Amino acid sequence: MSVILSTIVWSPLFFALIALFLPERSDEERARVRTVALAGAGVSFFVTTFFAILGQIGLGQGGGLAAAYQENHTWFWNFLFQAHYDLVADGITLPLLVVVTTIFGCAMFHSWKIHERVRLYVILVLLVETAVNGVLCSSDFVLFVAFWGLLLVPMYLLIRIWGGEGARRAAAWFAGFQAVALALIIATVVIVVVEAGAQSSDMTADLTTFSVTAETVGFWLSFIAFAIAMAIFPVHTWMLEVQTRASAGVATILSGTMLLLGAYGMMRISLVVFPAAAYYYGFAITGLAVVGAIWGSIGALRQDELRRFIGYMNVVEMSLVLLAIGAQTSVALVGAVLLLCGQGLGSAMLTLVSGAVEDRTRTTSIRAMGGLVAQAPRLAGFWLVAAASVIGIPFLAGFTGDFMVFAGSFPEHRIATVLVMASVIVITGGLLWVANRVFFGPVRDQFVRVRDVTLLDLTVLMPLVGAVVLFGIRAGAVIPVIANGVLEITTRITGA
Amino acid sequence: MPADFAHALTLALLPEAMLVGTAAISALVAALRPGLRPDIHRWIACIGLVGSVAACGLILLGLRHVRSGVAITVWNGGFVVDSFALYIAILACVAALTTCLISDSAVRTIPARTGAFYGLVLIATAAVEAIGAEREMTTLFVALALLLICLVSLGALLKTTPRGAVSSFEHLIEGSVGLAAVLYGLVILYGTTRSTNLTAVAAAAHVAPGAVGLGVALVVVGLCGTFGVFPLRQWVGRVATNVPAAAAGFVIAMSLIGGGAALARVTVSGFGPGVGVWRWLVPIVAAVALGYSSLSSLRESSVARLVGHLISTQAAMLLLGLLAFSTGSRGLPAYGVTAFLSGLGVTVIAMLAAFGVVAMLQVAGIGDGLDDVRGLAHRSAPAALLLTVAVGTLAGVPPLAGFLSRILLISSAADTHYGWLAVVAIAASVLTLIAAVRFIASLYADAGDEVPFTLGATPALSRIVAGAACLAGVVLVVLIQPLLAVATAGAGTLR
Repeated sequence: MSVILSTIVWSPLFFALIALFLPERSDEERARVRTVALAGAGVSFFVTTFFAILGQIGLGQGGGLAAAYQENHTWFWNFLFQAHYDLVADGITLPLLVVVTTIFGCAMFHSWKIHERVRLYVILVLLVETAVNGVLCSSDFVLFVAFWGLLLVPMYLLIRIWGGEGARRAAAWFAGFQAVALALIIATVVIVVVEAGAQSSDMTADLTTFSVTAETVGFWLSFIAFAIAMAIFPVHTWMLEVQTRASAGVATILSGTMLLLGAYGMMRISLVVFPAAAYYYGFAITGLAVVGAIWGSIGALRQDELRRFIGYMNVVEMSLVLLAIGAQTSVALVGAVLLLCGQGLGSAMLTLVSGAVEDRTRTTSIRAMGGLVAQAPRLAGFWLVAAASVIGIPFLAGFTGDFMVFAGSFPEHRIATVLVMASVIVITGGLLWVANRVFFGPVRDQFVRVRDVTLLDLTVLMPLVGAVVLFGIRAGAVIPVIANGVLEITTRITGA
Repeated sequence: MPADFAHALTLALLPEAMLVGTAAISALVAALRPGLRPDIHRWIACIGLVGSVAACGLILLGLRHVRSGVAITVWNGGFVVDSFALYIAILACVAALTTCLISDSAVRTIPARTGAFYGLVLIATAAVEAIGAEREMTTLFVALALLLICLVSLGALLKTTPRGAVSSFEHLIEGSVGLAAVLYGLVILYGTTRSTNLTAVAAAAHVAPGAVGLGVALVVVGLCGTFGVFPLRQWVGRVATNVPAAAAGFVIAMSLIGGGAALARVTVSGFGPGVGVWRWLVPIVAAVALGYSSLSSLRESSVARLVGHLISTQAAMLLLGLLAFSTGSRGLPAYGVTAFLSGLGVTVIAMLAAFGVVAMLQVAGIGDGLDDVRGLAHRSAPAALLLTVAVGTLAGVPPLAGFLSRILLISSAADTHYGWLAVVAIAASVLTLIAAVRFIASLYADAGDEVPFTLGATPALSRIVAGAACLAGVVLVVLIQPLLAVATAGAGTLR
């Protein structure tokens, strides 16, 4: 019996329980708490990476293998429907798992910068990691909702307790939006288990017996829920608040993993479970992507706050993913998954670097910064690598994703694709402008004593750089794996 | 099944007899040895409760080969010991046993009346067990009245402030109004159908539909009061706030189990699909109750009252299960009653856990206001964690057991064409979720009194039992299947 996926999902929780019983009175004890938490994230990361490589070989070779790993146990059955403890890692899940476990590993290294209530911090981060890994691996609707719901309270506390000025408001926005998203997902699940007639909450069950009304309502409920989680225009405001007000580590988790979950849910549920409605409303989805991309790019240009700028950049990136979801071609969808990997890593890196910049300059204003490259050249280098990945420079994680999304979407929605491309160009200009304002130009007097990256910063950022480069140069190895996972989506849509 | 009536009656009433007998022994001991240590009475009560559970187990053993799920029927079907009755009896005993084990500190304040306290606990439990088995309206009313008297007396017995006595009196008045509604309803039903047997009433409902409808409406509204939902729900908040927490948990839990059992017997098993009034009245009551209680929970400033609102919301949520009792949208059996019974179990455990933790805080000298527990995690991390799990389970915070039970209730309602009610329930769940998140945030995020405290003042056994009840909120997520299996058996006999 395979317990690989259970290990990936539950090891953070297991280590969180260990951390719960550790004291944190002295620096030594706090370091021990952090080390235990790092071990939790590390186990998850190493198991994921090792088995992702093995799974990649199996899935990349095709041959009818739909999932690299699967665990299935009946959870409860004396009811209207059967529910299963069903964990699956297929071609979509595997690369995303690698990305999120990498980011959580970095977030855990980043916890060495936290000095207050360390134990609570790491326990909450580990709970969030359990939830994120669980959502990615769930192949049962009830299990999916349970893991999704687990995100809410720990993330709320992380934003509120360790956030800066305005964190309370940001946390309230987060809770409000996410509670609505959760309610919509619950409603979707109820529709599925009641209307599909499969008497099962298994995501892979044959769900072809929906009435048109049920399919339409289910699609839109799930779409809105995951659009909120993805922070798509016009339900993106919560993300901007959190991105700006939360601590850098928490904002990294948000922009690197939580937005990705929304897109994953949209592909896994809105497209797979309601393929006919998804196909029918493909044009509306694309329209929303265009509006979001334009809104995000214009909004980004108007920002003076560094992390708010990254927030708007996330809106544009997610609009790109939405464009692929609207196009529904296999090339676009494979590109979307790759883009999610690149966006997750790039955005996480940008957030961490901007956090480091803000710590050193004691300001969040882009206009107040300048000339940092003289004092902190390596920090500027990390920013440029991250920006290059997000922009889509070849041999970095974002390039293949961007290219495939545009190539896959253009035949379906030409004008929309051109408009979104234009927005990406604008955001590219924005990223370069920010780099210029923050790092280049004359050195300002107040920043002459700014330190460059420390060993801790390097420890936090280097794994991300490695992942960005690996996803960039080995994209050819990842694409067949993702294509294998996307096959189920395109088959369902074609069938509908 | 025993053929002889006397044997059948003895066996049917054995669980109740164990409790009443133990209560009598406790009273006798209290009368003969007034200065006896309080924990002697507690252990006597525990023995009685374990005996009652054992008696239920004995009957369950005999039920293994009975496909109908009905073990014993006496008094022309007026008293039925079936899987449903046994489920209710065991749940009541578990609640009472938990109360006995966590109420040590509260009982120490009334050393002279300890025997009376545990005697009332036992008799109230016996009344709930009887309610679970009743299909005869007159005896059902008597059992409900007995339950109310016991619970009000318990609250009054443990009063620590004048407000506690007033609150018990208000509980008596509100409960009496509910019981009066039940009684008027029963009288009208008897007047029109010439029977007090629920099955016979349902069969003769067509004789005077208007009068029967009025009678049914009065009975349902009255029982909703006992169940702690709108319109007669104010007593829940008052009891939660003014009665010492250990006893408040018992009073509300027993009322919930008794009221729920009576509602299930009267509506599903008694009136059934033949009497339509309750099938539109209960959804309205549930919708209003869900809205009112969940909104109230948002602006609450007292922990105990917040728990009270969450209980009322959860009770209203349970009504969804009662509605889904016949067949689902695809002609398959509906599982609403299964969801109801399993949800009732989860709610009772979560409620006892919440009050158990509040009781520990009371012993440690922590007040009941939200300001008193603000920043609690700084002062006592275990207390904050226990309170988080208990309130989270009650509020349906994912992925705790309360959340899972809500999913089951909502999906069963949606399956039986109560989609609009499912939408209301989901909206109410969001509101209670937000209330719970705000409460949890105040425990962890806010700065409060920085003086640390421990839960050491509470007896170890009470701490262990309260902790175990909290843990059950987590464990039941994984082990929901055994609970569902037992609930399905109970629901089968009810239909």
